Amino acid sequence: MADILEQLEQLRAHESRVAMATLIAARGGSPRPLGAKLFVGEGGRLLGSVSIGGCVDARVVEHGERLLRENKAERVTVTVDDAEAVELGLACGAEFDLLIEPISLDHTDAAIVAYETAVRMSRTGQSAYVITRLPAGGMPARMVSTHPFEADSADVFVERIAPADTLVLVGASDIGAALARQARTLGLRVVVVDGRERYATRERFATADELLVGMPSDLVRPYLVAGAFVVLVAHEYKYELPILREALRAPVRYVGMLAGRKRAESVRQLLRDEGLTGEELARLHSPIGLDIGGREPEEIALSIAAQLIAVREGKPIARRG
Amino acid sequence: MTLPYGALVLEHFRRPRNQRAMDRPSASHEAFNPLCGDRVRIELDVEQGAIRAAAFTANACAICTASASLLTERVTGMPLQTAALISDAEALAALESDMPAARVACAVLPLTALREVLRIAAHASRA
Repeated sequence: MADILEQLEQLRAHESRVAMATLIAARGGSPRPLGAKLFVGEGGRLLGSVSIGGCVDARVVEHGERLLRENKAERVTVTVDDAEAVELGLACGAEFDLLIEPISLDHTDAAIVAYETAVRMSRTGQSAYVITRLPAGGMPARMVSTHPFEADSADVFVERIAPADTLVLVGASDIGAALARQARTLGLRVVVVDGRERYATRERFATADELLVGMPSDLVRPYLVAGAFVVLVAHEYKYELPILREALRAPVRYVGMLAGRKRAESVRQLLRDEGLTGEELARLHSPIGLDIGGREPEEIALSIAAQLIAVREGKPIARRG
Repeated sequence: MTLPYGALVLEHFRRPRNQRAMDRPSASHEAFNPLCGDRVRIELDVEQGAIRAAAFTANACAICTASASLLTERVTGMPLQTAALISDAEALAALESDMPAARVACAVLPLTALREVLRIAAHASRA
């Protein structure tokens, strides 16, 4: 799941103008969160979605193409009636309100400037709020704030651009490489750590946000903060023990380690001997991942990624039985 | 976890001495084995040509960690010039284990780091 700046960068390779459709309200349930975006390129390219139902997006595309031609913004309501809802798999009919506006992909477009500002703020670890005043005939007006902002009227739409959750991935193995790729597509910021520079290469980790080689326990320390996911796939106690000593006592959201049950218990015992408490050790997810039976690096990485999502969403299957 | 090495290696791996980071070391150096990924950093607090304190940080195997622990114990209080005379064979013998040839590099990695720290410290004291 690329952030909006990455989506815009993808579009710039082929398009100079796009219609940007933003989901601003939904009645009757929505499979996508408010703020979801669908871009309709002047050259016909599509990126993103505002619904999982093909016909909803298709109607938005039609509106987008029209508004690009007319060069104007509009608040559009798309209605899915009951018959369509059954076809779409929705429990009942629904209505979606969208703001659709033409934007130029150069860096001077006001909408792009606002989102660029907000995303850059979020990349420094700070939430940013894009406040859009919806048009009554004209183009939308936007401002960006670092303070939480509640919409005070139906003509104002507020999007929170939150910092991406960080995955600290220790071990530049094949499983690590597969997980780094998958996690990036899930919207996680990926920091890869290893002590071996022959493994932790840009060639193997092309999409990682950061690639750090050195003393792993030193490199991981600054990332042991609230909300972080720490995944150890090094399968090396030399890295696991020094990192787990700190990570299991840090306010991170998740700590997982690649190991079979017997090895995981041995590592727990060594940490227990060092004085870690039962409560601290219970935070360790090991064996790691959901038990989907995969053996190949991509499959194991998928089981770990699935567990990270389950943890993020607070699902009971997050912990392996 | 079963480790096929002597009691002293196990003792110093499980309860390493001087394993900490110094606030303001006089000199430090990190050595690493690029293949296996062992990393060990030796830090010295040097005063008047002698090692007042030695500490290490390791993300390394049991042998390397134990070797660093024993080495930092040994050099504490030693003049720099004396510490520089410690040989590979002495570092290996200190582990009191029959070290497989493939693991000798693990055992002497802390000594490699120490030699560089001593060179840095000697250079600093001359400056």
